[in-house]
Amino acid sequence: MTGKNGDHESPRVSTPSNANANVKRIPPPESPAAVQTRFKVIAAFWAVIIFLGFPIWWKTTSVYRAHIPFQEMVDWADGKTCRPVFPLEIHLATPAMQSPEAQHLLRTTQHTLDDLNEFATHHLRLKLTNDSDTPTTQDDENSQGNASNAEKEAADTALTVRLLPQEDLAAPRSELHADTTQLDVFYPPSQTPVSSSSNPPLSAFIAGELQQLYAEEKATIAHILSSHAVGLDSPSPQVAGSISRRWRRSMQYAEIYHLSFSLFTPGPAPSAWDIEAAVDEYLSPLLRAFAPISNFTVDTQVQLYATFSPTATLPEYDETEAAWTLKKEGLSAFVNAAEWPLNPSIGNGPTINFILYIPDPSQSPLVVKENRASSWIIPQWGGVFLLNPPLSQTDSSGDRVNPAHLPLETLRPAFMTFSHQLLTLLGTPSTPVSLPLRLQTLIRVRAATLLLSASSTMGSLARLTESLPSIPIPATVSASVSATLSRLAATCSHLRAGRFGAALANARVAEKEAERSFFEKSMVGQVYFPDEHKVAVYLPLLGPIGVPLVIGLIKELKRVVASWKAQRRPT
Amino acid sequence: MALLFRFLQVLSLLLLAGAVAAEHTSNWAVLVSTSRFWFNYRHLANVLSLYRTVKRLGIPDSQIILMLPDDMACNPRNAFPGTVYSNADRAVDLYGDNIEVDYRGYEVTVENFIRLLTDRLDEDVPRSKRLGSDAGSNVLVYMTGHGGDQFLKFQDAEEIGAWDLADAFGQMWEKKRYHELLFMIDTCQANTMYTHFYSPNIVATGSSEIDQSSYSHHADNDVGVAVIDRWTYYVLEFLETQVTSATSKLTLGDLFDSYDESKIHSQPGVRWDLFPGGEQEGRLRTVVDFFGNVQNVEVENANATDPGSLKEDLAEIAQLVEKWRKRDEEYSAILGDSSKNHTADAPSSHSLHLAPKKTVGPTKMAEDNSWSKRLVGLSVVGACTAIWVAGSILGHSSV
Repeated sequence: MTGKNGDHESPRVSTPSNANANVKRIPPPESPAAVQTRFKVIAAFWAVIIFLGFPIWWKTTSVYRAHIPFQEMVDWADGKTCRPVFPLEIHLATPAMQSPEAQHLLRTTQHTLDDLNEFATHHLRLKLTNDSDTPTTQDDENSQGNASNAEKEAADTALTVRLLPQEDLAAPRSELHADTTQLDVFYPPSQTPVSSSSNPPLSAFIAGELQQLYAEEKATIAHILSSHAVGLDSPSPQVAGSISRRWRRSMQYAEIYHLSFSLFTPGPAPSAWDIEAAVDEYLSPLLRAFAPISNFTVDTQVQLYATFSPTATLPEYDETEAAWTLKKEGLSAFVNAAEWPLNPSIGNGPTINFILYIPDPSQSPLVVKENRASSWIIPQWGGVFLLNPPLSQTDSSGDRVNPAHLPLETLRPAFMTFSHQLLTLLGTPSTPVSLPLRLQTLIRVRAATLLLSASSTMGSLARLTESLPSIPIPATVSASVSATLSRLAATCSHLRAGRFGAALANARVAEKEAERSFFEKSMVGQVYFPDEHKVAVYLPLLGPIGVPLVIGLIKELKRVVASWKAQRRPT
Repeated sequence: MALLFRFLQVLSLLLLAGAVAAEHTSNWAVLVSTSRFWFNYRHLANVLSLYRTVKRLGIPDSQIILMLPDDMACNPRNAFPGTVYSNADRAVDLYGDNIEVDYRGYEVTVENFIRLLTDRLDEDVPRSKRLGSDAGSNVLVYMTGHGGDQFLKFQDAEEIGAWDLADAFGQMWEKKRYHELLFMIDTCQANTMYTHFYSPNIVATGSSEIDQSSYSHHADNDVGVAVIDRWTYYVLEFLETQVTSATSKLTLGDLFDSYDESKIHSQPGVRWDLFPGGEQEGRLRTVVDFFGNVQNVEVENANATDPGSLKEDLAEIAQLVEKWRKRDEEYSAILGDSSKNHTADAPSSHSLHLAPKKTVGPTKMAEDNSWSKRLVGLSVVGACTAIWVAGSILGHSSV
C-alpha cells in the first residue's frame, strides 16, 4: 500500500509535526483526481449494494408463492360452482305390454314419482327398455358405429323394473332380486293400464315401491348436503339422527384401507387357522364388489397368551344361560389396547381391525350377557367376534382344550360377521335388501361426500394462504389445485348426467389431489418473527456497515450538489 | 294429554339434537416435553404422568403422540436405571414396560411439532407418528418446558412462539382436524402462550400469569432433582383421585375449580372465549371428553331382522360369495378349455385374471441427474480457481 501511495504525486504530503505546528492551516484543496476516485469508490460500494446485495437479500428472504385461483376455490367451497344432482335412471321393461300402453304407464308413473318427490336434488328418471331377454339388439343395429361413444355418454342404469303379468293376483306385488339390480313387479292382467285412465293403480304402486326403495339414500344424501351447508333443509331430525349416527360409526373415506385380522386367545391353542382360504372364500367377493369405491390390503396375525387388561371387567358365569357372559358396558374395555399388538401402522391408509377371540376352555362358551350375541362393532375402529370352537377332550390331565387348528368351516360364521361389520364400517346403507343396490347407493353417497370434502379443502387452502402471508406455495400445490378443480368439474358434470361410477372415479382423484395440495410438505409457515425481532436481527449486522456507507453517500451528494451550484453561479 | 305428549316429543328431539352436536367420535392426545438434560427431569416426569393417566382412561397408544426430548430412564445419572418417577415415594414407575415414545431426542423440534399438528409430513412417515384426528376428534395438547413471554423453548436451541402455535391450531381447524381442543401448558408465564389463539372450540389453560414463574413441587433426594411441577402435580392429583374411571361425570369446571393458588404458587389461567357458549358451556364438558376415549360399542343381535341387521347381511353376503364362486368356476373352466384348444382369444371380459407376479428390481431412489450436478460443481470449482489464479497474477504484476 505504501508503494501505491508513493505513486501519487500528492501535494499534501506533510509530516504530523508539520501539521501540529500550525493547527489553523487549512488543508490544501483536494485534487480533482482524488475527488473523482472517492466518488468512484462510493459509487462502486453502492452499486454492489443495489445491484448485488439487494437482489440477493430479496431473493433469499422472499417466500415463493405460486399463483392459485383463489376466487374459484372459494366458489367451490361455497357451493356456488356446482350444485350436485342425482338423476337416477331406472329402466322399465314391459315384455307383456303393447308399446302405447307401456308409454302411457311410463308417463303416469313418472308423473306420480315427481309428485311424491320433494327433494329435487335426487330424482328418478324412468326409461322404457326392451325386454331384458334380448337386450339392445335394436340399438346395436342403429348405432354400431359409435357404440363405445354411446356407452360413455349413457347414464348408469340404477335399477331395472320388470313388469310381469300374473293371473291369480288381486293386487300388484313386487319382488326385489337380492343379487342383481332388478325389481320384478307382478300385476294382475286386469290392471293393465288403458290410455284413458289418468292415474292407473299400477303406476301408483310402482312409484310407491321406487320411492320406498330409495328413501334411505335420499335422506342420506340430503343429510350430507345439508351438513355441508349447501343451503338445503335437512330431513326430519329423527332420520337425520339415525343417519348421522351411522355416519359417525363408519370410517372416514380413504383411498386404501388396511384390513387386519387378528386371532387372540388367552392360551396356547388354537395356534393355526385357515386364514388364507377363509379370506379368499368369504371376504374377497365383497372386496371385489367394493373395488370401485376403495382399495384394500389384508394382513393377519395370531397372538397367543393374550390377556385382558387389568381394569377390564372379567367374564362371569351365568347359571341360567350355562355360559360365561360379558356385560355390555364392559365391552369397550374388552380390547386390551395397551398390550395387544393392534394398529400395525402400515402405509398411509387407516386400519380396520377385526378381532377373533377364542376364549380359554375354562371360560367357554363366552357370550354377551344381554342378548347372547357373540359380536360387536367398535365405531371407526373395527369389529370383535367371540368364537367358541368345539372343545376336544384330548389332554393328559383330562381337561378340555381348544383345537390346535381352526378349519375353514369353523371360521365361516366369524368371517360372515366380519363381512357384515365391514359393510357397516364402510358406511353401506341398510336398505334396500339387494346388496348391489346398496353398493350403488354407497357409490353415489361417496361421490357426494368426496365432492363436498374436496371442495371444502379447496376453500380451506384458499383461506389459509390468504391468512398466512408467510407461508410458501410451491408450484406443485398450484398444479394439484388445478387438477382438483378440473376433476371436480368433471365429477359435477358426470353427476348431472347420471354417470355415478365415473363421477366417483373423478371425485376420488379430486380428493387425493386436494389432500396432497393442502398437506404439501414444504408448506410449513416459517417461524413467525415479530417486527421488533427482525430489527434486532438486522441492526447489529447492518448498523456498523450501514452508517459509514450512508454518511459517505450523504457527504458525496452534498459535495456534488455544492459543486453543481458553484458551476451554475458563474453562468 | 296430547299436549304433554307433544311437549315430551319436542323435548326429546331437543335433547337428541344437543347430544348429536356435543358428541365426538375419537380422542387424541399430544403430550410434549420440550426440555433436555438431567436437571429437567421433572418435565419428562410431568408428561409421562399425563401419558399414564390418559392411557388409564382409555386412549390407546396409537392415538397418543408422546414427545420426549431426552431419555431420563437411561440417563447415567439416574440412580434408578430404567425408571422415571414423579413422586418421592417412588410408588409408580412411569416408564414401566409398556410405553410408546413417538418422537424422541432430537426429533422433538418446533418444526416437527408444527408438522405433526398440521400433518404436513413426508408420505413415508408412519401412522404412529401422525396425528390422525378428524372433524369428530377431541384433542388434548399438553406442553411443558421452559418458557417466557409468548414463547416456549424447545431443546435449549429454538423456541415456538404463541403466534406459531395459534397458526397451527388455526390450520387444524381449517382442515377439520379437531372437534374440540383442550390446550394445557405448564411453564413459566404459561398463560401468555394461548393469548394469540383465534380458532374456535378451544379451551386453554396454563399454569402461570405473565411475569410469574411456575415452580416445581418437590425433589426426590435420591434421584437428586425435582420430580414434578406444582401445577401438573395438582392437576394429576385431581385426575388420579377423582376421575377414577372412564365413565366419570366430572367436568372441566370441576377440574379448573380444583386449582388452589396457595398450593400452586402461581395464578393458573383459563381461556373460554373461543369455545362456543363460552365458559358456561365449556364448564359442562366432562374431563373424560378429553382425557378418556369414547367407545360406544354396538352389540349385534344375531336374531334381529330389521333391515341392515346382521342376519340379513349374512344372507346377502353368502349369496355374493356363491355368485363369485360360480363365476370363478366358469372362468377356470374357460381357461382350461382355451389352454386345451390353444385358442388365441382369452376371455377378456373377466377382470379376475391375475397377472404373473413380477419380481421387482432395485430402483434408484433419487431422480436427479448426477452427471449434470457433477458438471455444475466442476465448473464452479474451475471458475473459482481461474479467479484465484488471475487475481494472484494481477497482484504480482502490479507490485
